[in-house]
Amino acid sequence: MIIDWYTTIFQIINFLVLVFLLRAFLYRPIIKAMDTREEIIMEREEDAATRKEQAEKEANEYRDQRAALEEEKEQILEEARVSAEKEKNSLLEKARSEVDQTRRRWEDAFEREKETFIGELRRRIGQQACHVARRCLSDLADASLEAHTWDLFIDKLKKLPEEEASALEKALTGEKGAFSLSSAFEPDQEKAEKLTGVLKELLSADGLELKPSLKENPDLVCGLELEAGGYRVAWNVDSYLEDVEEKILKELDHTAPAEEEVAEGDESRTD
Amino acid sequence: MTISPDEIVLFQYGWFKINATIFFTWLVMLLLTLVSWLVTRKLTSEGPLTRWQNLLEVLVSGIKGQIYEVSRQDPGPYLPFVGTLFIFIAVSNILAIVPGYTPPTSSLSTTAALAICVFVAVPVFGIANQGIMNYLRQYLKPTFFMLPFNIIGELSRTLALAVRLYGNMMSGTIIVAILLTITPLIFPVVMQALGLLTGLIQAYIFAILAMVYIASANQARQEIAEKGEK
Repeated sequence: MIIDWYTTIFQIINFLVLVFLLRAFLYRPIIKAMDTREEIIMEREEDAATRKEQAEKEANEYRDQRAALEEEKEQILEEARVSAEKEKNSLLEKARSEVDQTRRRWEDAFEREKETFIGELRRRIGQQACHVARRCLSDLADASLEAHTWDLFIDKLKKLPEEEASALEKALTGEKGAFSLSSAFEPDQEKAEKLTGVLKELLSADGLELKPSLKENPDLVCGLELEAGGYRVAWNVDSYLEDVEEKILKELDHTAPAEEEVAEGDESRTD
Repeated sequence: MTISPDEIVLFQYGWFKINATIFFTWLVMLLLTLVSWLVTRKLTSEGPLTRWQNLLEVLVSGIKGQIYEVSRQDPGPYLPFVGTLFIFIAVSNILAIVPGYTPPTSSLSTTAALAICVFVAVPVFGIANQGIMNYLRQYLKPTFFMLPFNIIGELSRTLALAVRLYGNMMSGTIIVAILLTITPLIFPVVMQALGLLTGLIQAYIFAILAMVYIASANQARQEIAEKGEK
């Protein structure tokens, strides 16, 4: 149990050698490796922090961008809405004007039709009146209405005012005596000759040979018309019929609202 | 009753002899150096660690942690000395489980050698830290008359350290020997296992005490420095 100094000194040396050996082979490399790892970890953490910061920055940027896009979208939508509204209004306006136009056209057409109808009516009434008058005349006076018409016309010619007579003469002279005689019925040669005679008497200019050309014109409605170089002398039932027409027109105007309703019905059909 | 491994002479040439203590010390040294070299040869700082590297890193960082706990100073300068104390004693004691092996620590010469090393290391670290004059001045504190007591304290501390380790290692060996004579089967195995535990604890205590002694010398200096600052 005694301390062996030889061994002790040997062991001291051994221990010191071991200290240096372990320092060289164990502590230094291990600590170095650990420090390096720590450094790497720190670097990574720093890197991660930097990246995180960057990512956050980018995320913020994207958020801003998205907000801007959203705003832009809203703006575009608003613009689209406004322009759609404008377009709608203009379309409505156009449609309205088209409808108005159509309506006006239709009204014009209706007006024309009305006039045509009235014209036709007048003619028919005239014809009917003439027919009635002829029947009455032939039945009562035992004379044809036509003959009476001729007599009336000849009478009218006889009573022609002086200035008109001179104008007629002038016209006849211009046409070298040629004139047309239109009647609603088949021209009566005898009456025509009588009329030519009256006309000769009426005119002061001698030596002018009168050459009548007879024409049948049903439009005259029970009447006669003398025409020479643009000058005209006529008698027909027009003046009487005009009174009737006036009355009929008044009557039509009275019933106008009812007719307009019909017209609107027509319009809806044409649409 | 038991023979100190010092007395088992394996080789002798004139005054030069190699006894069991020295032989097994060399064996332990060889083992430690070889393992360290093999492991640290291929250290990595990135990626997965090898098991051995992991083990050594745990060991080294554990020792570093303990040194810091005791000294509250940077463990760097003390690590090789204190760490080697712990590793050498621990491995020497643990290998006692191997048949035919005699722990070098069961020789009073070895424990005395280690104690002497600590005894020398305390002033060496002290002088390295604070300079020779500052260190020597500590022996005169608090008064000049305390010088002999300070020196005795320093010596007795070293002796206590040596005897403590020796006594513990010897007691383990002796207990096993006694038990072998009483109950030759099974029970000594339990004692042997217990011996491993006490061996590790001794290694720990020895290293910690060494550190405490070294640190106390430096702490005194730190206190002086702090007072000087105030």
